[in-house]
Order: sequence, then structure tokens, then C-alpha cells
Amino acid sequence: MKILVALKRVADPDNANKVKIPPSGDRIDTAGLEWKPNPFDEYALEAALRLTEDGKAPKARAGEVVVVTFGPKETEQTLRAALATGADRAIRVDVTDDKLDGALVARALKALVEREKPDVVLMGKQAVDGDSNQVGQSLAELLDWPMATFAATIQEEQGALLVGREVDGGVAVLRVRLPAVVTVDLRIVAPTSVYSLKTARTHKYNDGVRFAALPAIMASKKKPLAEVKLADLTADSGLKVQYHGFEPPPARKAGIKVKDVADLVARLKNEAKVL
Amino acid sequence: MPRNIEQSFMKALFHGVIAEEMLFPFPEMSSDERENVSLLLDSVRRFFGANVDSAKIDRACRIPPEVLSGLKDLGLMGLQIPAQHGGAGLSSMAYARVMQEVGSLDASIAVTLGAHQSIGLKGILLFGTEEQKQRYLPRLATGEHMAAFALTEPGAGSDAAAVKTRAELSPDGKHYVLNGSKIWITNGGFADVFTVFARTSALEEGKKPRLTAFIVDRSAGVKSGPEEHKLGIRGSSTTELFFEDVRVPVENVLGEAGKGFRVAMEVLNSGRLGLAAGSIGACQTLVRMAIDRVQERRAFGRHIGGFGLIKDKIATMLAQIYALESMTYLAAGLIDAGVVDYSLESAICKIVGSETLWSVANETLQIAAGIGYMQDYPYEQLLRDARINLIFEGTNEILRAFVALSGMSGPGRALEDVARAMREPIKGFGLLSDFAIRKARTVLGRERMTRTHPLLSREAVLFEEHTGQLVSITEAVLRKHGRDIAEMQYVQKRVAEIAMDLFGIAACLARTTRAIERRGEEGARREIDLTSIYTGMAQRRLKQLVADVQDNDDELRKAVAVRAYADRAYPFDVL
Ligand SMILES: Cc1cc2nc3c(=O)[nH]c(=O)nc-3n(C[C@H](O)[C@H](O)[C@H](O)COP(=O)(O)OP(=O)(O)OC[C@H]3O[C@@H](n4cnc5c(N)ncnc54)[C@H](O)[C@@H]3O)c2cc1C
Ligand SMILES: Cc1cc2nc3c(=O)[nH]c(=O)nc-3n(C[C@H](O)[C@H](O)[C@H](O)COP(=O)(O)OP(=O)(O)OC[C@H]3O[C@@H](n4cnc5c(N)ncnc54)[C@H](O)[C@@H]3O)c2cc1C
Repeated sequence: MKILVALKRVADPDNANKVKIPPSGDRIDTAGLEWKPNPFDEYALEAALRLTEDGKAPKARAGEVVVVTFGPKETEQTLRAALATGADRAIRVDVTDDKLDGALVARALKALVEREKPDVVLMGKQAVDGDSNQVGQSLAELLDWPMATFAATIQEEQGALLVGREVDGGVAVLRVRLPAVVTVDLRIVAPTSVYSLKTARTHKYNDGVRFAALPAIMASKKKPLAEVKLADLTADSGLKVQYHGFEPPPARKAGIKVKDVADLVARLKNEAKVL
Repeated sequence: MPRNIEQSFMKALFHGVIAEEMLFPFPEMSSDERENVSLLLDSVRRFFGANVDSAKIDRACRIPPEVLSGLKDLGLMGLQIPAQHGGAGLSSMAYARVMQEVGSLDASIAVTLGAHQSIGLKGILLFGTEEQKQRYLPRLATGEHMAAFALTEPGAGSDAAAVKTRAELSPDGKHYVLNGSKIWITNGGFADVFTVFARTSALEEGKKPRLTAFIVDRSAGVKSGPEEHKLGIRGSSTTELFFEDVRVPVENVLGEAGKGFRVAMEVLNSGRLGLAAGSIGACQTLVRMAIDRVQERRAFGRHIGGFGLIKDKIATMLAQIYALESMTYLAAGLIDAGVVDYSLESAICKIVGSETLWSVANETLQIAAGIGYMQDYPYEQLLRDARINLIFEGTNEILRAFVALSGMSGPGRALEDVARAMREPIKGFGLLSDFAIRKARTVLGRERMTRTHPLLSREAVLFEEHTGQLVSITEAVLRKHGRDIAEMQYVQKRVAEIAMDLFGIAACLARTTRAIERRGEEGARREIDLTSIYTGMAQRRLKQLVADVQDNDDELRKAVAVRAYADRAYPFDVL
């Protein structure tokens, strides 16, 4: 199976307090931010690796995992980390974040999918910076492929994927014929969430994503990392979403301590007016 | 006088020579290696975050086997083993950086990894034959086999040459038979491969024994005692080892038979840098905790971070850590640049690393105050874990003596040459003229520190002046004491501490100069300020040390100690 994984580099949400907005309010100041891969995209990569291996022998890849990111030269570090954890090839589309929106990324990805011809496109359900939750759905629409969003489990079948999605009151299971677009949720990295045809159903993965080992990090230098111009993927680089201004959220007001439950209820009723 | 009079920055400094080409530019890893290491550190941090609970390791007195195997899977066991033997072939700087990270996360794990590769397998790397390397390194690199370094015995701690463990060549000359025991061997409970030091000459009073280093497989019959109960680093394994007619093939002699002492010293020289690097990491963890605490804890209507005495502690810690980090990476960079003799530099880094960490742990606990003392909080464990570093891999007393005596031995030889030249004027002419030139240099003007940035000129002058002091004190005490200098430990301590501060200042100057050149004065503000604080602290110490050389109560102290030994106690009681 060949899988294309879209991977975005985002500002570390744990350091969100470092996000600054200049007085002009026309942009976000990214200087001094710490960067990391979008967690949901890392889960997508982990799912892709699990789908292309026998869980017992995770070093041998059955199929191909190609990772793609949209970003400046520095984002190659993110791609190298992905290569070091097991991806076979990487592609960087050379562009900066402020020149992109979800629709443009989806258009460019469509062109890339037509070149690469993967069986599955896997990506996070959303990026934790913009939280747009659009690219997967838009891409499926542009490709006219089946899609499953918010996957919590994936089992490979012959020519299809069985995708479990957590919904209110239970789990909805979809069978999507390949090729397909799947976006993943947090639980996809639980020990028994993903099974390729090769992996025994009794196999349990470590919880979470795998970490790159030093030998693999060094070997990843030899894996192909291609650069593509955005213009080579789509002639239309217009943006549908335009930002008119940025401002920081209002500072949180100090909380209060309530005496007892009766006091809490009274305040919820009279002050917060939510009851 | 040739520039490369000594292949060591510090040894040259004892001659008054400032080998600037060893300081500038301040070393750095290749960009490839930097990238590899930062990817690895990312994995290490995440692995520890998800799997390692230091408090639990401390309580259980063991590192869970899953954690150890996870560390092996990450490739952390063969960091400096060359690629052709299955390792990652990291440079010394990169190795130090990884050990720094591990030291910042868990001391028991840092010590376990260090015992394995900073010292346990280091002998094979430095002295092994190609066959020995091929046989042992690949499995050590993956961690399938773990290594340990077995030197210490009940009667041979600091005095390593006193080992009693005996290795006797079998009549057919094919193997040695080992008998004896070792104590306090890190990784002793589970290691598969040991670097063992044993005597290959009969024990004779007053005669230096011949030591030989051996690679010994556990399967040859090495037995371990039970785990020791320790103050700190409780997750690390520390046991006795017993050798009872353990047969070791002659092919397993490491280096030359009879040259084991040198093997031990070289291994420890290089191992000490790993210890210093781990100390940097632990300091960083502590200082982060201290900073968090002082911004959170309120007293007298303010955050305690607002009080001068607290700010003073934080600033001191930062300056000390900056100097330690600069010294350690300078020394590591010297090794990577192919400098063969870094024994003084690494000993200095070990002393400064362990003592900086001890003071940072102590001050952080003091800042935390009541909660610092409680086992429900991490401070007391960090303090306990930090304590070992002043003791093992050479006690700090022994290392001070080593720094002084080894540093002074060059000038000492030069003085002997002068004496000889006086006796044999013709033969000694060459020696004499060489010395005369050297002497003229220190008289006519001190050597210059020319490559520091002008913003640091005050600090550079201080360095030059005290280099001059080091040289003249060295010469004065050598003339005064001659060979007896070996017994003059008060003098040794002062000389060593002057040398330590000089190395610290030199390292800060080189590193901060690079920072200014790259980022300008404002961009390098933090480095400049810390250099200024560190140099100020060093200056006050140096002033005292230099004064104490002339004016001290050494003899009185010796007498008081001797009398106390006779009294066998503190002699007073107010009753
Ligand atoms: C947790 C732990 C792990 C260890 N791991 C290992 C290991 O893996 N491998 C190994 O071989 N050893 C190991 N050791 C042993 C360690 O290296 C020794 O404890 C150390 O060398 C000091 O020896 P000692 O304890 O016998 O002290 P001693 O040598 O008895 O020293 C006692 C005191 O006297 C001072 N002293 C000794 N000689 C002089 C002198 N000439 N001048 C001035 N002062 C002097 C010392 O500085 C010290 O303060 C370990 C020890 C511990 C505690
Ligand atoms: C084992 C133990 C036994 C104890 N027994 C008793 C007992 O029997 N009875 C009892 O009443 N208490 C007892 N205590 C409490 C003890 O007296 C307090 O821990 C101590 O007074 C420090 O208070 P704190 O821990 O809240 O630290 P804090 O007051 O929070 O101080 C934190 C740090 O800030 C510094 N600091 C605070 N204010 C200033 C300032 N203005 N300027 C500069 N620095 C400042 C402190 O020196 C300290 O380093 C005990 C504590 C321990 C650990």
C-alpha cells in the first residue's frame, strides 16, 4: 500500500503564551516561537507506518509512505524526523504559511496525489494552530474520492479500509474503498487501533507515536527529500480566506472561590446567568 | 619557543603560553551533527516524558527493564562507537550534548549510560585491537550487551595502583587466571562485559605493581554481590564483583600487559567529560525549577523572586552554569579537533561540574525551603542524586592534586633542565637557551589574549594577569619545594584552583566572543553579562588564592589536625 501523509509544522501549542501580535495587528509575530509537527499529523504518520508493516517487525516497510509538507526550508527538519521514524520519502512544497489557506493546500495536494498516485491520503483531523479542519474534506471532494474523517481505528482489508469513528453514543464504522482520504483523531495511536493485513490481531502497539532512533536518524539523511514549487502544483494560488486583523484574546479574569454547592448554584444562576 | 610546546591548552598555560588557536573560534558541531542530535534529543525527551518516572525509580531502586530496553532501541548505547562497529560515531561534543540531556532527565539513567559507554567500553574504543573491537563493540553498541568499568577495590579507591586482584598467566601462556574482588561497580548487577584491572606482578612492599587491563565476559565466571543501598542514583546498579579462578584468554588483554594503569587513566580522562556534561543538564533542570518556584511562591506580599537575595542566587547559578557549559564544550571541542592531551581540561570540567551541580542543587532546595526538604517534592532527590559526582571517577581532592601536579610538571622539568644545564654547560646549552627564551617571555611581558572581542577586554586583561600569576607561583613553589611539591597539598589546591578559574574565564571569553561576532553586542547581551558575573566571581577567588600563597595558616592547620587525631575528637565541652 502506498500512503501519502500530509504533515504540518505548527507553533508549539504548549507555548501559546509566546504568540505575539504587533501593534499594527496585521499579522502574528512568529519570532521566538518553538515549532513542532502538528500532533494530529504525527498520529497520521504513525497510522501510515502501522498500515505498511507487520507490527512485529516494524523496521521493514511493506509499501511506501511519502510525507509532504508545505513550508520554508526550515520545515525540512520536520520531514527528516518523519523519515527517521520510518517514512520512505519526503516532499517539501516551498511556500510560507501566510500564503496558504485550506483550499489552496487541498488544490496543491490534489495535484500531488495525481503525480504520486497513493492508495490512501492520511492526515490529521486538523492542525492545532488554525484549527480549520478543512483540508482533508476539500481534498476528497476535489479528487472525488471516498473519505472518512476523525478516524479512531483503521483496519486494512483487501482494497478497502475499515474505519472506526467515535460519535455520540458509540462508534460508527465505515468501509471506504481505496483510493481514499482519511483524517485521524487522537485515539488512532492507541495500542490496538490500527492493523494492517500483516499484523496479527493479537499484536499490541506501544501507546502513542514511535520515536526516531539514532541509527534511523542518521540513515534518514540518505532518504530522498524533494522540493517542489507551489506553482508547479497549481496555477491558481489565490486565497479564499483573508485575514483582516489579529488581536490577542482578552486576558482571563481571576476566578473566585465559592463557599459551597448552594453558593455555586446561586452564582451560576444570578451572576453567570447560565442556569 | 615552539608554539606547540605542550599539546594541551592548560599545560601550555602553566608555561605562560596562551594557546589562542585552541580557544578560537569556540568549537561547534557540524551542522549535520547538530541536526542529528536535535532530532535525537527530541526522541529522548518524548521517550522520557512518556515512560520515565524518576521518583518511582528512586523509590523502587531500579530502572524498569522496559525503560532500559527503550533506551537501547533509541540507539543510546553506542553513541561514540564508530559506525563500522555498529555505533553512531558521534563526536565528543555531540556525545556530551546527549549526556547533558539525559543528565537533565534522570541521574540514575545518566550514570547507567555513562558507566556503560563513558568508561565501561571506552577502554575497548581507545585501546582495543581490531579483533577485540569487532568482537565486542557491535553488541555493546546496540545494548544487547552492557559494559562496566571495574577498578575500585576495598583497599584501592583513590589509590588505584593498590589493586590486589591478581591475574596470573597460565603455564601454557594462553590465558590469565583472575582472583580477587571489586567494589561499588556501576552496572555490576547486570553488565555482560567488564573492563577489569588486575595486578600482573607479585605484591611487593614499596614497589609499584604492574597493572593490566582485561576485557572479561561475565560468562567467564564473574559473580556479582547484592545491590548496595545508596544515598542517591538509587536506580543505578552498584555491586561487588567476585573473581574466583576466572580464566581470561590472553587475547583479552586490553592495551599492553603491564600498562593497565595508563588504560585506566586514559579512560577516566575521557569519561570525566561525560560526567561534566550530565551535570550541566541536571543544573538546567534545577534552575528551571528554581525559576518556576520563585515566580510562584509569595511571601511578604510578593513573589519571592522579587527579593534581592533570591535574585542573587538565580544570577549566580546562571553564571556558574554558563561557565561550566563553556568549559565542557571547549574541552570536548579540543578532543574533536584531535588534541591528544585533554587530561587537565577534563579533570577541571569534572571538578567544576560536580561542584556547580552540588551548589545549584543546594541553592534550589534552599529556595524551595520547606517543600524542598519533603520527599513529596523532587528537590531532595535531585540533591541526593547530585552528591555522587564529587566522589566517583576520581575524588575532587585527587583531581585537584592531579591538575596541579600534572600542570606543574612541565615547568618542573624545565627547571630540572636548567639545573642540569648548570652542571653540564655544554651539553645543556640547547636546553638552557630554550628555557631562557621562555623565561624572558614571562619577564618581558605576559602573553596576550588577542582574539577576544574588545567588549571583553577587561576580562581578557584579568586572564592575562592571572596567567602571569600562575606562572610565577608555579615557578616559586617549584623552586621552594622541589620534588617535595608532591607532598604540598595546600599549595597544590591553590594552584589547581587558579588553573580552574583561568580555564573557566578562557572558555567564557572564547564563547562570548563568538556570540558577539555573530549577533552583535545587544544580541549577545546575555552571554556578555554572564561572562562578566562569572569573571567577577573568579577574580575575587583568584585574588584570595594568590594572597594565600604568601600569607596563610597552612602549618597551623596541619598541626591542629594532627593534634585532633591524637585527641580523637573535638576537644571541648562547656560543662
Ligand atoms: C555509587 C558509586 C559508584 C561507583 N562506580 C564505580 C565504578 O563503576 N567503577 C569503579 O571502579 N569504581 C566505582 N566507584 C568507586 C569510586 O570511584 C571510589 O569510591 C572513589 O574512587 C573513591 O575511593 P574510596 O571510596 O575508596 O575513597 P578513598 O580513596 O578511601 O578516599 C577517602 C577520602 O580521602 C581522600 N583522599 C584519598 N587519597 C588522597 C590523597 N592522596 N590526597 C588527599 N586526599 C586523598 C579522598 O578524596 C576522599 O575524600 C563507585 C563509587 C560509588 C559510591
Ligand atoms: C523538617 C521541618 C520541620 C519543621 N518544623 C516546624 C515546626 O516545628 N514549627 C513550625 O512552625 N514550622 C516548622 N517548619 C517550617 C519551617 O520553619 C519553614 O519551612 C521555614 O520557615 C521556611 O518557610 P517556607 O518553607 O514556607 O519557605 P518560604 O517562606 O516560602 O521561603 C522560600 C524561600 O524564599 C526566601 N525568602 C522568603 N522571604 C524572603 C525575603 N523577604 N527576602 C529574601 N528571601 C526570602 C526564603 O529564605 C526561602 O529561601 C518545619 C519545616 C521543616 C522542613
